Amino acid sequence: MVPCIEARSLTLTFTPKNRDPVTALQGFDLQVSKGEFLSLVGPSGCGKSTFLNVLLGLLKPDSGELSLNGKQIDGPGQERAMVFQEFGLLPWRTVLANVQLGLELKGVAPSIRHERALDLIKLVGLERFQNHYPHELSGGMKQRVGLARALATEPEVLLMDEPFAALDAQTRDLMQTELLQIWERTKKTVLFVTHSIEEAAYLSDRVVIMTARPGRMKNVFKIDLPRPRDYEMRLTPEFNDIKAKIWNTLKDELSGKAAGNGI
Amino acid sequence: MAFKRFYAEYQRLILGMVSVVGMMLLWELAFTYVIPLNPFFFTKPSLIAEAFKQQIVSGSLWHDVAISSKAFLLGFGLAVVVGIPIGVFMGWRRRAEYTLDPFLTALYASPLVALAPLLIIIFGVGLTGKVALIFLLSVFPFIFNVFAGVKCTDRLLVNVVRSFGGREKDIYFKVILPSIMPYIVAGARIAIGRGIVGILVTEFYAASEGIGFAISRFGDTYRLPDMFAAIMVLMIVAVGLTEGLRKLETLLAPWKVGQEAR
Amino acid sequence: MNTLASFYREREQAILGGGFILLLILIWQIVPALISLPRGIALFFTTPVEVIKSFYQLVVRNEIQSHVYTSAVEFVVGLGLAIVVGLPLGLVMGRSKILDAMLDPFVTAFNATPRLVFLPLLILWLGIGIWSKIMIVFVGALFPLLINTYEGVKNVDRVLVNVVRSFGASEWQTMKVVVLPNSVPYIVAGLRLAIGRALLGVVVGEFFGASRGLGFMIAGAATNYKVDVVFVGVTIFMGLSLALTHLVKRLEARLSRWRPDEVKTF
Repeated sequence: MVPCIEARSLTLTFTPKNRDPVTALQGFDLQVSKGEFLSLVGPSGCGKSTFLNVLLGLLKPDSGELSLNGKQIDGPGQERAMVFQEFGLLPWRTVLANVQLGLELKGVAPSIRHERALDLIKLVGLERFQNHYPHELSGGMKQRVGLARALATEPEVLLMDEPFAALDAQTRDLMQTELLQIWERTKKTVLFVTHSIEEAAYLSDRVVIMTARPGRMKNVFKIDLPRPRDYEMRLTPEFNDIKAKIWNTLKDELSGKAAGNGI
Repeated sequence: MAFKRFYAEYQRLILGMVSVVGMMLLWELAFTYVIPLNPFFFTKPSLIAEAFKQQIVSGSLWHDVAISSKAFLLGFGLAVVVGIPIGVFMGWRRRAEYTLDPFLTALYASPLVALAPLLIIIFGVGLTGKVALIFLLSVFPFIFNVFAGVKCTDRLLVNVVRSFGGREKDIYFKVILPSIMPYIVAGARIAIGRGIVGILVTEFYAASEGIGFAISRFGDTYRLPDMFAAIMVLMIVAVGLTEGLRKLETLLAPWKVGQEAR
Repeated sequence: MNTLASFYREREQAILGGGFILLLILIWQIVPALISLPRGIALFFTTPVEVIKSFYQLVVRNEIQSHVYTSAVEFVVGLGLAIVVGLPLGLVMGRSKILDAMLDPFVTAFNATPRLVFLPLLILWLGIGIWSKIMIVFVGALFPLLINTYEGVKNVDRVLVNVVRSFGASEWQTMKVVVLPNSVPYIVAGLRLAIGRALLGVVVGEFFGASRGLGFMIAGAATNYKVDVVFVGVTIFMGLSLALTHLVKRLEARLSRWRPDEVKTF
């Protein structure tokens, strides 16, 4: 199968002022298939968010190749859209105006983007709130707006950077199930970054474990659970096995046993 | 029972009004029945009201206010047009901030009114001198408030716009400008007071028209009721503008939980 | 060559800022040497070197000292009065809702109005001696102090007050232990604003009805086209303002160390 996203040997080092340089990614390889739901899990600072930003086109790698459908990635593009952890909604715009942002920037005609935005607002269940402002919404609702906005430009790839981390546990569970439903309907390729093993295992087709900084792929787990998935699956022994396996691989990175330059 | 509830809700407003009305009554009664009123030294509300009526009827009040307003609007308008771009420039480009900040901060902290006599000597007593001083005094709140506002812009929002393919001009118009609106209004609120100082200084010092000149002239001729009336007119205008802008600030930024020293 | 680059990178802020100011002063100095000014402008023009020379002359001939002394007295006494009146009043207003509600319209009205508008009235009452100036300084500096103290008192954390009350503290003890320490950063910020207003009061008060003082000196010099003397006065005020503000800002920073960062407007 032709990989949709292909990363080869990506390396990126940050050089902040008055501090030592930080190598976020070192020889990072990854292949993502079309329509796949892939999670990236790893210790803090391992470069998973950095990789997402490189994919988005906001950061340029120092070396290596990154391509989407065979074409090199060179800046932001319509085929990729991101859902941000801190929502990133323009506080002075209503929900409706926020969802239209991407379409607006592409110069889509007002009537068309208005309609498109309404469709997506319905999809995420916020129809009654289309004229509300972000500060009037709860965290879960804000993130739904973020999701609607990202889907509005009809990207091929949806990038999600710990989108539910800022939500409380119950809302988070709800959003995960909703996300799966929306994904089943829209069939996007999703790259999902998270700290939560349970979340990664529940949502994804494959879970990629990254090493501690500098980040590289350490291991990949295929999640063979049947779809559509529901909450009860999280309570099965099979699910716990998967979680245990992922945790075993991850904990070495967390305790720093495998940390240090290189390995 | 109903009165109690009414009082609880509007307590602050009621107490405030009672206080003001009470003060006026006390003032009037004291100087009518208790303390002899020396007309060269003090006055009382009834006389002030009379003088006020006279000034409106004769049109002198409108005339004075109009003259002062013209200079104020010109100077203030210039400050808006010059101050905001400088503030944006300083806030957005770090090098610009490093270069301009110390110089502009030094100017802002200095009593620039000290230059008033010089400006008057150079530009003369007419509109130009007034406008120059008003501009100098009111431009800085705009510069620094906009500067603070731009620096406070949520970088995440800039990244969001970039991620959807937004260019530099999109960032300016869709993120920075809406972001700094409350700061602009706050700057305007502060600048108004400073601008009025500019009017008063030039009109006290060397002018033949305007509300400041009127106050000064009434003082020289011991027309105290007229003087008090003119002062009150200025106070009403100042309060109106300032509180109006304060309301505008909260309207424009309901999402901001602001905390500032007045 | 690398050390030069790293030297610059570390001190970029100071180099750009200071350099710009120096550049402006330099340009100002050499302008008359570069272009011949038309006669009208030449009358109003002076250079930094002239200003320095003028300053030296004034000091040597003992002409400036009495002016400085007068202005200083007006400033200190006026500011002192504002502190003595403003702080207690702010404390009381912050704690008493009734008093606050009753005084609020007056405070708002007087705060929004430039206190300068009362100068002719003050001169009418107190003449052109030192007291009219002291009063204008007082009225100018009073409001930032009053309002900031008031805000500081009002913003005390309810929870902390309840904690202290639960140990049986009286109103006075509550003030001492919780309210005052919490208000100190606000008060110092108010002091910073008040200093600026006080200086303004000195300057403008002395323009209009005075026989001594730096402002009087500036006004007189302007009328006689002695622009260099004008700038001596302006520079002294500028320097004083910067020095005092800087000192108070340092005090503010020291006293605000326990506070989380907030957005401060000007």
